[in-house]
Amino acid sequence: MNKIYLWGIIVTVLMLVFTYIPLAISEGGLNDDIVNIITIAGAVALILITVLVVIKYVRQMQVDTATGELADENWDGIGKYKNSIPTGWAVAFLLTMVWGTWYMTIGYPVNSYSQIGEYNEDTEVHNAKYQAKYGDFTGDKLVEMGESIFLAECKVCHGINADGIDGKAADLNSRISAQTVKYVIEKGSDYQLIGSAMPMSDRNGLFNVNTGALITDAEIDIVSTFVANGMSGEGAEVYAGACAACHGADGKGMDYVAPNIATYTPALVVNILNFGKKGHMGVMPKFDRLNDKQKEAVGAYITSISK
Amino acid sequence: MFHWLEKHPFFFSVAVFLVISFAGLVEILPNFAQQSRPTIGTAPYSTLELAGRHVYIKNSCNACHSQLVRPFKSETDRYGHYSLSGEYAYDRPFLWGSKRTGPDLMRVGNYRTTDWHENHMKDPASVVPGSIMPAYRWMYINNTDINTAFAEQLTIAQFFSVPYNKPVPMKDGSSIIVKMGGSVAEANALALEEAKVIVADMKDQDVKDAVARGEIPEIVAIIAYMNSLK
Amino acid sequence: MENHPLEYDYTVAKMFMLTTIILGIVGMLIGVILAFQLAYPGLNLMLGEGLAEYTNFSRLRPLHTDAVVFGFTLSGIFATWYYIGQRVLKVSMAESKLLMFLGKLHFWLYLVVIVAAVVSLFMGITSSKEYAEFEWPIDILVVVVWVIFGAGMFGLIGIRREKSLYISVWYYIATFLGIAMLYLFNNMAIPTMFGVSDIGESGVGVWYHSVSMYAGTNDALVQWWYGHNAVAFGFTVPIVAMIYYFLPKESGQAIYSYKLSLLSFWALMFLYLWAGGHHLLYSTVPDWLQTMGSIFSVILILPSWGSAINMLLTMKGEWQQVAASPLIKFMVLSSTFYMFSTLEGPIQAIKSVNAIAHFTDWIVGHVHDGTLGWVGFMIMAALYHMAPRLFKREIYSKSLMTAQFWIQTVGVVLYFTSMWIAGITQGMMWRAHDEFGNLAYSFIDTVTVLHPYYVIRSVGGLLYLIGFFMFAYNIYKTMSARKVEESELQNATPMGA
Ligand code: HEC
Ligand code: HEC
Ligand code: HEC
Ligand code: HEM
Ligand code: HEM
Ligand SMILES: [Ca+2]
Ligand SMILES: [Ca+2]
Ligand SMILES: [Cu+2]
Repeated sequence: MNKIYLWGIIVTVLMLVFTYIPLAISEGGLNDDIVNIITIAGAVALILITVLVVIKYVRQMQVDTATGELADENWDGIGKYKNSIPTGWAVAFLLTMVWGTWYMTIGYPVNSYSQIGEYNEDTEVHNAKYQAKYGDFTGDKLVEMGESIFLAECKVCHGINADGIDGKAADLNSRISAQTVKYVIEKGSDYQLIGSAMPMSDRNGLFNVNTGALITDAEIDIVSTFVANGMSGEGAEVYAGACAACHGADGKGMDYVAPNIATYTPALVVNILNFGKKGHMGVMPKFDRLNDKQKEAVGAYITSISK
Repeated sequence: MFHWLEKHPFFFSVAVFLVISFAGLVEILPNFAQQSRPTIGTAPYSTLELAGRHVYIKNSCNACHSQLVRPFKSETDRYGHYSLSGEYAYDRPFLWGSKRTGPDLMRVGNYRTTDWHENHMKDPASVVPGSIMPAYRWMYINNTDINTAFAEQLTIAQFFSVPYNKPVPMKDGSSIIVKMGGSVAEANALALEEAKVIVADMKDQDVKDAVARGEIPEIVAIIAYMNSLK
Repeated sequence: MENHPLEYDYTVAKMFMLTTIILGIVGMLIGVILAFQLAYPGLNLMLGEGLAEYTNFSRLRPLHTDAVVFGFTLSGIFATWYYIGQRVLKVSMAESKLLMFLGKLHFWLYLVVIVAAVVSLFMGITSSKEYAEFEWPIDILVVVVWVIFGAGMFGLIGIRREKSLYISVWYYIATFLGIAMLYLFNNMAIPTMFGVSDIGESGVGVWYHSVSMYAGTNDALVQWWYGHNAVAFGFTVPIVAMIYYFLPKESGQAIYSYKLSLLSFWALMFLYLWAGGHHLLYSTVPDWLQTMGSIFSVILILPSWGSAINMLLTMKGEWQQVAASPLIKFMVLSSTFYMFSTLEGPIQAIKSVNAIAHFTDWIVGHVHDGTLGWVGFMIMAALYHMAPRLFKREIYSKSLMTAQFWIQTVGVVLYFTSMWIAGITQGMMWRAHDEFGNLAYSFIDTVTVLHPYYVIRSVGGLLYLIGFFMFAYNIYKTMSARKVEESELQNATPMGA
């Protein structure tokens, strides 16, 4: 076999392998995505056409001889043949021109394509497909879905293990840190954590019924540790005296009064995603571009990983 | 005819010029007639935001980041609503970029925050393991050029009627006014006010001190710009 | 005087040859650094924390593109013009004091622009528009340089002895006109020092800053009408000018078909300008403009391939030359890469393909199979052909040249295949939804997966750079080699061992 054909085959096979690699790496390969399919087809066409055409001309270099009638003119020793235009080229050129004219004058207007229209259709199809699928997810399936959202959306701040990357964002493995509790007691909180506006007042409004006075620095420290420790250890009295009235004896919160500060609940997380919040670590942006099911799913996931 | 042209360079050049200018006339001029109007809710950049935009350009962030959300489900899921022409009405120059080595930033103000940027710009890989974005530590030291931003505001207000100090309609029916100083001193004072709001959410003591002294490090300006991208 | 052969004056060609090589080294060295920085971000600090502002990827990137476009490529265009122009028009620059003066002025002012550009880009003074980064003071200088180039070109044409213009000259004229038109429009800006405050202050801020005349979508439209055609009139048209001269000249073959060159030229001129919309697919420019960009890109394949095919056919029956001469190898492979990138471009311009390719490394791959394989190879081949004629000496080493050819070919192949995989991978990962209908990957997942390909690309780029050093060395040694007779320089370039 001629070396050129061999090279053609080698190049083609290699490039096809290179085109296949992305399919293998990316989740789900072509994924039923028409764009993926057209792209791969385009890449393959690019390889095949180039290799075939180049081989054709290289063969002519190898076996043909230059012929034709030379024109009279000559520049710096360079002549030119009066050969006519290669037929294949001329035909291809004509065809693309005809196609282009047809497309611009008839195909495109009749089609009345609009990229936003296409987007709307795609989105509708997508939503319908997945709503049908995850509409009645519960339990583990929901947690799994939540994890996938967490890894795509939240890990840049909370870290891949949801540990908050050295205090840069909240550590979601445990409900709350002592620092956060302390910060909230001192500064108050106003982030619709129970879904509606009901701010927690700052320390100047926090009254300890046991002592009959405003909460003190020492009490703040001790109760913060208590809450952060999962409602255990020293500080139970302060808690009972100053906080339980709203957050409940067990810290699990009360509807319409105060949020759960002992454990995460999906509802709490959903509220945080809807309204965002700001604390001593920084600002948690709201994520209202997630849909309800997605929010519920991350809520389930965070509830599942936190102690 | 072509043979004749080849012997007459002047007419040859005229012919080439006519042939190449044709497309521009058809494709570009019509769009100029149709001025791109701002969408409701799009406001001009404040002094500090504009200064931050200059920092962005100075460091060619646009070499790695686009600001154009294309109408695909996968992009609107990741970045938010697809881009609308009118949202760019005050973008001179446009900063769509042509390469996404990093993510799109068209709406980054919606889902990233001052404190996060502060950590990220100082050392991207410490926040996002595996990040290949350079660290921009000098931005915490170098001061922002507020005067040039102000000069640009003056220029665009005068030449392109950008509505500074005038009500700009918002989506909820209200309107806001983006202020522009009447003098260099006033412009600097306005920018400093904005800077104070930003540093309140920052932790770097040196930056806080600088702003307290009346200086505005570049990092503050670029964060103001990032937060304005919504 | 018609009796004895013309003595062409290559002074200006030599000057630009020097800058082609030096700026080629600078630009490609920065390219290699950029490539390694993306693979190993620690290199952003390669000269330490203190200089990081100047050595990090984002500050260096425009330096790379401008150094290779306005430095390497443009110098190559000028060098070859000052060589080819005289020969195909049959006049010597020495015949006109004015033209000689314009040529030298052209060079020195060009050098001023380059220095100003390098300094300003290092300082971060840029308008952000790709391939049009310079601020207005430099823009004005660029226009002056361009006008001088044009004056010299038309001056030479004006005193020509060869009545009709050779194909290459068509392309040089088009280069001049095209860039002139595009550059002016895209750089329209108002210096901000004209802004006046309420209390009458003006000249506020830095004097060199300006604000674009166009906003948002309009600005994008003008920029990519420019950007695309900067490729046309910087990376295509003048390079075609070169190959139309150097390949037939070096091989001693006549151009295969005059008709094909004619048709390709005029079709290319007409079609190229319409295709800019393919940089703005799925953006906020009107749908019809985007469609126009796609359609014209596809039609553009044929005039592009027309020139390449004409060149390949010129070598019909001359395989022994291809096999024997590394110089001809460079040119044959160059037109092959030209075909590859002018088919790749149109495929990437199809809307659905662009949905994946745009914003990814596949575009960067396309850029470099064009620039490294086509532009780079052709310019080096041109200089290899010119060097013996400029210095009246034999090329120092043919085996070095052959080695260079293979090293650089491997380099280009590594570059574009790795970016091919990287781009398609990333594009597909961005689009992927998981079984729950949520995004399958966070952005950083799509970055870390590219690491191996970034490493391969860096190695490919390094090989290409090494090859370029071999080229520079070969040319340098040529300048000091044994003198040869004029008669030995008719067609094929004499080469040493
Ligand atoms: C008057 C009722 C009331 C009392 C008393 C009260 N809280 Fe709260 N607490 C709330 C409300 C309401 C919220 C939610 C505020 C919001 O929406 O941001 C809240 C929020 C919190 C949060 C924030 C949860 C989070 O995820 O950020 C913490 C921590 C907290 N309370 C701890 C305490 C502690 C400790 C005490 C006692 C020292 C206390 N609270 C006393 C009503 C109260
Ligand atoms: C831009 C960074 C950022 C992103 C993105 C982010 N968070 Fe947060 N998040 C924070 C910060 C900072 C806090 C802590 C606020 C504070 O100081 O209390 C926080 C707090 C939280 C809290 C409250 C913890 C508590 O008990 O107060 C929850 C729940 C949470 N994030 C969930 C999420 C989820 C789910 C996502 C993704 C959908 C997410 N976050 C994305 C920065 C972020
Ligand atoms: C070498 C390429 C590169 C350059 C230059 C670069 N970035 Fe990035 N950027 C990245 C990558 C990669 C990511 C994704 C990983 C991460 O978050 O660090 C990123 C992420 C970001 C993000 C987070 C966006 C999000 O949605 O998570 C912001 C904001 C950002 N960059 C701003 C900037 C700014 C401002 C500049 C210029 C001063 C800049 N970048 C320059 C590569 C770059
Ligand atoms: C028929 C000819 C060609 C067509 C139709 C074409 C088409 C394209 C397309 C569709 C893009 C990508 C735009 C995007 O999605 O970002 C592109 C980018 C590019 N092409 Fe081509 N291409 C052609 C030939 C060439 C050649 C020969 C070269 C160079 C030697 C070249 C250099 C470039 C460059 C530098 C870019 C990058 C522009 C940027 O985004 O900065 N192209 N081209
Ligand atoms: C040694 C060889 C080279 C290497 C290693 C190299 C590397 C690079 C890198 C890493 C980038 C940035 C890509 C990104 O942002 O992701 C780039 C961009 C670019 N390079 Fe090179 N380069 C080389 C030679 C050249 C040459 C010779 C030319 C032109 C003649 C060129 C033209 C360009 C252009 C136009 C871009 C911008 C592409 C775009 O914006 O899409 N490069 N190069
Ligand atoms: Ca680009
Ligand atoms: Ca400019
Ligand atoms: Cu283009």
